[in-house]
Amino acid sequence: MIEVEHLQKIYGSTVAISDVHFSVAKGEILGFLGPNGAGKTTTMRILSGYIPATAGTARIVGFDVHEDSMQVRRHIGYLPENPPLYEHMSVESYLHFVANIKGIAAGDRQLAVTSALKKTGLADKAKVIIAKLSKGYRQRVGLAQAIVHSPEVIILDEPTVGLDPKQILEVRNLIKGLGGEHTVLLSSHILPEVSMTCDRVTIVNQGTVITTDKPENLMDQLLPVNIYKLLVEGDVYSIKSTLESLDGVNKVDIIPVGSRFSLEIFSSDKYDHLAKDLAKVVINSGLDLYEMNHNRPTLEEVFLKLTTQEQ
Amino acid sequence: MIFLNNLYAIFRKELESYLLSPFFYIIAAFFWLIAGFFFWFILNNLIQNVAQIEQQGGLTAGVDLASEFLNSYFNVIISLLLVMLPALSMGLYSEERKRGTLELLSTSPITNWLVALGKLLSVVAIFTILWLPLVIYQIIAFSASQPPIEIGVVLLANAGVFLFATAVLSLGMFISSLSEHAILAYILTFIVVVIFWSLDILSNSVGAPLSDLLSYLSLFKGYTPFLSGMLKTDTVFLFLSYIIAGIFLTTQSIEALRK
Repeated sequence: MIEVEHLQKIYGSTVAISDVHFSVAKGEILGFLGPNGAGKTTTMRILSGYIPATAGTARIVGFDVHEDSMQVRRHIGYLPENPPLYEHMSVESYLHFVANIKGIAAGDRQLAVTSALKKTGLADKAKVIIAKLSKGYRQRVGLAQAIVHSPEVIILDEPTVGLDPKQILEVRNLIKGLGGEHTVLLSSHILPEVSMTCDRVTIVNQGTVITTDKPENLMDQLLPVNIYKLLVEGDVYSIKSTLESLDGVNKVDIIPVGSRFSLEIFSSDKYDHLAKDLAKVVINSGLDLYEMNHNRPTLEEVFLKLTTQEQ
Repeated sequence: MIFLNNLYAIFRKELESYLLSPFFYIIAAFFWLIAGFFFWFILNNLIQNVAQIEQQGGLTAGVDLASEFLNSYFNVIISLLLVMLPALSMGLYSEERKRGTLELLSTSPITNWLVALGKLLSVVAIFTILWLPLVIYQIIAFSASQPPIEIGVVLLANAGVFLFATAVLSLGMFISSLSEHAILAYILTFIVVVIFWSLDILSNSVGAPLSDLLSYLSLFKGYTPFLSGMLKTDTVFLFLSYIIAGIFLTTQSIEALRK
């Protein structure tokens, strides 16, 4: 349904996305996860046909998003970051307008609008002027316009941003309900959100895809069993490569703490025998070890580690 | 068929947004007030002048009061339109850009041409609503005219205004598509229209062949023949060119936004 290969977008000298690739199967919900500025909105704008890519290809329902933009537009529903609402309209007349420009025949419009209102829980707000709606309801109207013409592919840019917890839950359930019948691509910077609603998750950072996997595999793949924290004094940079070469060590971070250093060592090793090896390296190198502990990180911590730039 | 359907949707949406905005009613009130005042003022002045000349016995032949009035009044009204029309067109695209709704239009299966055409039709409809009371004034005044004024002359003058207004609104729509700021669009449109209006004055200060071209492009020169009851195809063509150029430039500027 959605195939994206080596997508690149460069604005002047700024690289918005450098290499984005993923594919979404029919009926699947793919989460597009990354911190703000990772290139999520840019990618979605390219997919919706709003902006062209600098390089690479993207196809939706077999049509190139740039070459066959009109065909693609017929098959997608798109909720941009800011819901595109005409405030002077009532919810119902706005949806009628959208249904019209999306190509729904006059005779089918009322049914399409009623169904979208029902799905998004807006039935009792149908006659209300959009300007008078709260943020949560506006977001729902945004969602309703993305699904009113029952498109095969639905692209949602941060659909739950700015909502309260109850509304978030409702919107998540709504999106879950869209899967199967529709193919959904949804972006978010909140990890639990995508892991709860999506069949698969693509993690992007600084314009490139880090990994794509099912949420449960993602945890296995990304979660090191242990994080060791060592408080050390001395020339820690000289032992960094030695520590990294140890069996089971994935990543070593050095954070200065006053005159000392905190070493954060990520390990996928299931056992704790790495602890004694780490200690040996530190002691044998003539450095002073003040503190040592290890714990399991949360999914958020790993996500942050993956997507935060190392300086 | 779906094309007309979409066009109607855009047209109707725009029309509603004008009619639901207090801004429209403020413009309408001012326009009707000022246009009405000048209608009375010019007509009254003319009648008094003629009466005075007649009293002094200076009037030998009949005066075509109706044509005279038409000429002075429409010249005043055109100046008023130069100020008012940019206010009608300034929000056409700048508001869509500001509110992010352009993203909805640009990702829907409709062309930029259709959106621009629908918007232009709606703002022309709004202008027509504003112009309607003035047509009624004319009917009342000219029906009492002795000798009767040729209906063709009146119709042509009104058609000239209509073409002129559509050309200005089309240019204004293009300028509105250039930024998110309606006020900026207003100021720019006003300046551009005044320049195009006075091109024939500018043309006097440059040599041929540029002066011929500038003089031809002048909105003022294109408009005046309509007042004297002459239908000149080249001036009609000039206005149509302005209208099409405005729509074309709008589609290009919206296309360029998606880079």
